[in-house]
Amino acid sequence: MRRTILSTTAAIAATGLALTGCGGSEEADAGGEGGGGEGGGEISIITVDPSNPYWSAEIDTAETVAEEMGYSTDTSAHGNDPDEQTRLMETAINNDVDGILLDPAGADESVAIVQKAVDAGIPVSLVNAEIAETGLAEAQIVSNNAQGATVGAEAWAEAMEYEGTYVELLGKPSDNNAQVRSDGYEGVLSQYPDLEKVGEEIANWDRQEGQEKMEQLLSRYPDIDGVVAGNDEMALGAINALEQEGALDDVEVLGFDGNDDAAQAVAEGDMAATVLQPITEGTTQAMEVLDEVIRTGESPLEDEKVALDCVLITEENADQLQGFSLEQ
Amino acid sequence: MSSTTAQQAAAETQRGSRFSFSLGSVLVEARALVALAIIIVIFAALNDNYLAVSNLTTIAKDVSFNAIIALGMLMVILNAGIDLSVGSTVGLTGAVAGNLFRGVDLPLTEAVMFPATWVIVLISIAVGMLVGLVNGLLISRLNLAPFIVTLGMLYVGRGLTQVLLGGTNITNELRGQEGLGNTGFFEIFASRPLGVPIAAWVMIAVAVVFSLLLTRTPFGRWLYSTGSNERAAELSGVPIKRVKTRIYVLTGMCAGMVGILQIANIRSSTADLGEFYELNAIAAVVIGGAALSGGRGTVRGTIIGAFVIGFLSNGLVIVGVSPFWQTVITGAVIILAVAVDQIQQIVQRRRAQARAVAEARRVSEQAERDRDSEGKEAAGV
Repeated sequence: MRRTILSTTAAIAATGLALTGCGGSEEADAGGEGGGGEGGGEISIITVDPSNPYWSAEIDTAETVAEEMGYSTDTSAHGNDPDEQTRLMETAINNDVDGILLDPAGADESVAIVQKAVDAGIPVSLVNAEIAETGLAEAQIVSNNAQGATVGAEAWAEAMEYEGTYVELLGKPSDNNAQVRSDGYEGVLSQYPDLEKVGEEIANWDRQEGQEKMEQLLSRYPDIDGVVAGNDEMALGAINALEQEGALDDVEVLGFDGNDDAAQAVAEGDMAATVLQPITEGTTQAMEVLDEVIRTGESPLEDEKVALDCVLITEENADQLQGFSLEQ
Repeated sequence: MSSTTAQQAAAETQRGSRFSFSLGSVLVEARALVALAIIIVIFAALNDNYLAVSNLTTIAKDVSFNAIIALGMLMVILNAGIDLSVGSTVGLTGAVAGNLFRGVDLPLTEAVMFPATWVIVLISIAVGMLVGLVNGLLISRLNLAPFIVTLGMLYVGRGLTQVLLGGTNITNELRGQEGLGNTGFFEIFASRPLGVPIAAWVMIAVAVVFSLLLTRTPFGRWLYSTGSNERAAELSGVPIKRVKTRIYVLTGMCAGMVGILQIANIRSSTADLGEFYELNAIAAVVIGGAALSGGRGTVRGTIIGAFVIGFLSNGLVIVGVSPFWQTVITGAVIILAVAVDQIQQIVQRRRAQARAVAEARRVSEQAERDRDSEGKEAAGV
């Protein structure tokens, strides 16, 4: 039930987006046939969920970069539903677009449809998540979640002074990254014998669920010293709960993603640290590869798989973080 | 027979049937109460913090959000309807409020308008009622199925929420600015008068008003009668269309209030706020003994149902049940509650049937005896 409703919502949102996308591209086609220079043509951007700040940043970057290169774009979202992804990809293939930028829904589930696009002669560039096959996509550019979790956990352990009890808020169990991040935290924190994990709850990447679960965990462990969360939204929910109980000053919270609300919480000292996923950088790179392949037929990458390191965000650099990129 | 006497007669039967319903619902409520007591005793024995004041406050707050929505849901379920759009309406009212805090660009001018906090709250709740009104009119005037209409509205509402938020959360703006005259939102809507979360006060107020509405007004009588037999109610002069429209406005209002309370609670307006609230609310109503087929259910039962869910989900966390199993157990309790309810009703129906058969037999035997004696008298003359 849950999944159906979610994916159907995404489907409807995606349809709306696809429609607006089409309108836009028509205009572009009618208006500027000769203007493009070396680029030009149409790129389909297929992503996960435009209502989430993270993917919203991904979409904005992709559209801006592509338009600067002279392409028209249409954007749609599959909500992590492989069936929906297949539909959207087939639409793009039938439209005979010049290239596809895809944030894939599942490593195994996405192989066949990427193959189909490649067979149709359309280059595909992947961003944010991988597929379980190499030699198909021109690029697979992801942020290194395991590395991110490691640096985040190191910084948080330091803030904890390597001792105390903590709880963990986990992301959606069906999302691979939830486990990768949790394992990354565990890998670091298990090295410190005085850090003891006393409980964990699933809060589905969601701020309100994070807050609710944290309130309940606080009832069970009123003297908790720390919270590690799989993403910023859950961490921000936990901070609300701690603030209401007047316990925030004694508790260190770790987030992940680097969204604007989290940047502010870190700057204000409410959150010990978060980890920036360089989604704007990754999307820009993936788009550059796609552009090069469309223009020259050659990929500039030696290895299609690129893992971009995540960046630790602490009080020192939090004020430079905005829209998922660090201003230098 | 004039229509007034018809209505009186209908009211008579209604009172009669409501009496037997209330007898049934006492049993049903007792069942929900027993379940609640069992849950509390088990978890309190397993963990000392379960009944601590701070945890009870937490439970009260979480239950209140669900209970307010569930009370609205009770209204439509009494009418044999359903409202699947309430979760999206929560998100939408939150997004509307967030945008009003962010300021509204006035068309044709350079000016940006910042409404006062209380204006923002009223407008947002009004938007919730408007969504309900659209639902209600489509259902009552065009005779569309509530399930379909509100399912559609679930998508429309969620989509509009995403449009209004445009992929961002609205967080800082909710604090308001002194110069703009829109401060005080958190101070009021995340407050704890007398140590009790404001959401719980709202729940109590809604419960009292709805309970009076259902038991002391013609509207309440109409609602129960349309739910148990819409055709009969219509024939006896109940304005069924007006009743139907109004209940969806009420659910929209409840969802709007929760939207406001919830963005104050999480201090942010987010695009997925309120997802699956409709399902939790339906669960509370059903555990509270209401029938999805309409005509049966009470405010008290629904509140108890919401508390059963709240005490259970809190307890599972407090005693440290694995998060995966929590979901399984919650689902199992809902099914169990409804199954017990159904069995109880089958038993009651069989008893009633047996009584009716015995009564019919007694009457027919009596009639036979009467005929016999009449025959004898006739023969004797």
